[in-house]
Amino acid sequence: MTALYVLDVPENTTVAKVAAEAGATVGKIGPYFEITADGPIVIDRRATGCRHAVWYSCVAGVAGGQIVQHDKNALQVDPA
Amino acid sequence: MALEHKVRGVDHAAFPTFDPAGTVRFYRDVLGFPVVHSICAAGWGPENHPDFIHFFFDIGNDDRIAFFYYFGLEPQHAHERGDVYAGFGPEVPEFFVRSRHLAIHVDDEADLLEYRRRLDDSTWPVEMQIQHETIESIYTHDPNGYMVEFTRAMRPVTPQEDLDANLTIDALIDVVTAPDPSFGKLLARKAELIVERAADWEAAQV
Repeated sequence: MTALYVLDVPENTTVAKVAAEAGATVGKIGPYFEITADGPIVIDRRATGCRHAVWYSCVAGVAGGQIVQHDKNALQVDPA
Repeated sequence: MALEHKVRGVDHAAFPTFDPAGTVRFYRDVLGFPVVHSICAAGWGPENHPDFIHFFFDIGNDDRIAFFYYFGLEPQHAHERGDVYAGFGPEVPEFFVRSRHLAIHVDDEADLLEYRRRLDDSTWPVEMQIQHETIESIYTHDPNGYMVEFTRAMRPVTPQEDLDANLTIDALIDVVTAPDPSFGKLLARKAELIVERAADWEAAQV
């Protein structure tokens, strides 16, 4: 299982929301969103409304996989 | 247990200048930073130290920026990039040249725009104004080439950001003290630390 951790601060809430809409499971561990999926996690950048500084610094941690795309279009984490 | 935190901000951060007139115009006359201290010293010591003036401007909060002007001292490098202290050749990337700078805090947007107005009316206009979403900053270079930023927070820092910063630093130390550090390894290590500590941290917040 792939897990993506995102800190729960106001700028990041849409990242978790868009991940959930794309089919990932969104839970919480402490003050972090824990975004999990059996397959890839894909988050559309424009759907989040995040601009550069937040978008490129929104990832707190990745477990069970790796980031294969993090650009102006999308963030994708694939299973290891 | 954490060590007691006894320090009280920046007494002064000191920089050399070859242009004391421009430096005073920039900090005192354009920005309105009061001159709060100066030392006129005859050179002494074994190193053929020149006579010098060490002068200080208040940057708020009783913190100070200070300069050394050395009589008769010629510039110490001929590079066009960088500042009077450190010069860089064309092989050095711009992000590295811009990495070292002084950021001065202001309370709100009105104060940020006030300093923008003062700079824009001067020989040293604002070069960039950037909203990083959580902070907003303006940047210019002083007469010595030192990059100066004014910045305001667009919202207060939350407690969880302090936790996150500490997890980042612990993960960073683990990664850089092992072979081949990378961003991917840092995010993997940080994920482990989040799983270990984040729930307990939240439970301890009241």
